[in-house]
Amino acid sequence: MAELLEIKNLSVSFDTPQGELQAVRDVSFSLHAGEVLALVGESGCGKSVLCKSIMKLLHKNARITGGSILVDGIDITNYRQRDMERLRGRLFSMVFQDPMVSLNPTISIGEQIAEAVRVHHPKMEREAVHQRVIELMELVGITEPEQRYGQYPYHFSGGMRQRSVMAIALASNPKILLADEPTTSLDVTIQAQILDLLRDIQRKLGTATIFVSHDLGVVARVADRIAVMYAGKIVEIGTAEEIFYDPRHPYTWVLMRSLPSFAGEGEELYTIPGIPPTMIDLPPGDAFASRNEYALAIDYEEMPPMFQISDTHYAATWLLDERAPKVTPPMGGDFHG
Amino acid sequence: MNRKNPYIDYGKKILIFLLSVLILSVVVFYVARLAPGDPLVSYYGDRVEKMSMAERQWAEENLGLNDPIHVQYIRWLQNALKGNFGISFKYKTDVLEVIGGRLVNTLVLGGVGFVLIFVLALGLGILCAWHEEKWLDKLICKVGTIISCIPEFWLSLVLILIFAIHLRWLPSSGAYSIGKATDIPDRILHLILPMTIVVLNHLWYYAYMIRNKLLEEVRAEYVLLAKSKGLDKKSILFRHCLRNIIPSYLSIMAISVPHILGGTYIIETVFSYPGIGTLSYESARYQDYNLLMLLCILSGAVVILCNIISQTINEHIDPRMRESEVIETTEVTEIG
Repeated sequence: MAELLEIKNLSVSFDTPQGELQAVRDVSFSLHAGEVLALVGESGCGKSVLCKSIMKLLHKNARITGGSILVDGIDITNYRQRDMERLRGRLFSMVFQDPMVSLNPTISIGEQIAEAVRVHHPKMEREAVHQRVIELMELVGITEPEQRYGQYPYHFSGGMRQRSVMAIALASNPKILLADEPTTSLDVTIQAQILDLLRDIQRKLGTATIFVSHDLGVVARVADRIAVMYAGKIVEIGTAEEIFYDPRHPYTWVLMRSLPSFAGEGEELYTIPGIPPTMIDLPPGDAFASRNEYALAIDYEEMPPMFQISDTHYAATWLLDERAPKVTPPMGGDFHG
Repeated sequence: MNRKNPYIDYGKKILIFLLSVLILSVVVFYVARLAPGDPLVSYYGDRVEKMSMAERQWAEENLGLNDPIHVQYIRWLQNALKGNFGISFKYKTDVLEVIGGRLVNTLVLGGVGFVLIFVLALGLGILCAWHEEKWLDKLICKVGTIISCIPEFWLSLVLILIFAIHLRWLPSSGAYSIGKATDIPDRILHLILPMTIVVLNHLWYYAYMIRNKLLEEVRAEYVLLAKSKGLDKKSILFRHCLRNIIPSYLSIMAISVPHILGGTYIIETVFSYPGIGTLSYESARYQDYNLLMLLCILSGAVVILCNIISQTINEHIDPRMRESEVIETTEVTEIG
């Protein structure tokens, strides 16, 4: 069966005055119909860039330097903006991080949703468009849609705005929804509401979703599968159970250790030592090596390949090589250390 | 509920306008009289030199120049409020009559020029933003920079040299050919060169502004959402971005009305175009007090008025300002 979305060895670089910045490096993964795949990692690890490069929403100084993007078996790697316009909204659409800035401040909410409805159905009747907008507003839980139709974004709270953005994203029944940290800029109670809404809608419509987050706690709530990213690479990918109960990559370990719920009472929260590397002129070997307390000598010299752990679980760390010393992970459920 | 009454707002603005004009008139009145020079020269011409002290005394008495300045000012103000702005010393007729025809000429030159600048700047700005960093954009920006750097009087002379002297296509000066004051096509022909200079002089600044504001807008976060909906470049630029910059463009253009009108003064001189630019210069030079007063108050009033208009546009055109009233009413009905 063809995957809905297949990313093969994708690399994305930005041209900067300091040199080439490799934001995404040799990333491969696939997305099955109807599933939620979470991309997890620290700020700047390339999660958002990866999403935006799939939809070709990156600025002009970014370019795909290698690999391919296949949607429904069609290679869109070299599609131009005009070709993408026909796919965006219908095949995939995106929910952005900050709903305070992702809506146009001078166009009413209803009109902005209507625009998304009309874009792929230009001949739709006025009444039908209006009907569809109201339907979408109800779907995402905007109360009193008729009254709210003519209101402007500044009338809406952050949570309501994010609901509107979701209505826009869902307007043309996309097959894939890319949610780029959709709850990060919302306060915690609203976060939970939006996450539940996302999950509900995803179940109802069966939209395959890529959910970007830096928060494993949030991810646990929505994801079927999880991909952990570090310095532009996927370092571990597996089902949610595999990642949470049997993490294999040292970076996944420290990510989990830094969750507040893992710290005992009265204990200080764990923080990952060091800072993420700059993505210009990366050193050879594993980019995480310098922050990794389990680093082996080879980590500084050679990039680890993806080791297969199960049909669905892969991790890129030399610790999985048969010659590597056995280490006991600091955490996780049932370990095979 | 404490909703603002819009009429009080407008009343305040009118009051501010009147007060500003009043202060302006006091300042101009004093400064003009404190400036060195002999106002009698503009009335009597060379004869002043041969006047005896007694004759001078009589002449100054006659023109009301002997009283203390504040007495003169109050007399002027009383007359002005009745619509009588006095006579021009030089032209010996009512200043309103002197200004009348010339004001129309300046308004035609500046007004039509303004509309042209407004429309062309918008078009060029959009064109540049559409072709951002492509050759057309770069070309327009470079040409604009170069033309903006050329002083307008020099550019005027070059255009006169080319189109009036060598090619003989267009007249070099005046507003109409002698004896053809009512001939509209002839007047238009006379307008082409000065109008070209007015437009070329100001166009680039505003076009560049539109371009940059649009490009700033194109990089806004909401454009990503608009793109991810599947909207094309045209709808994003025209329906989303342009809409957000028009309010600030309108208010900036309103402020620049006097700037553009003021720019016509030099051009009027170069093309001997009978507008109020040349008249203002003469009136200040020859101490033609009454004429100077009216001209200063007229142009001052235009400046102040345009500022107030631009302020009002700013307050009303943005839905974020406009809609706050609607919200208040819905809340009230909900509670009631």
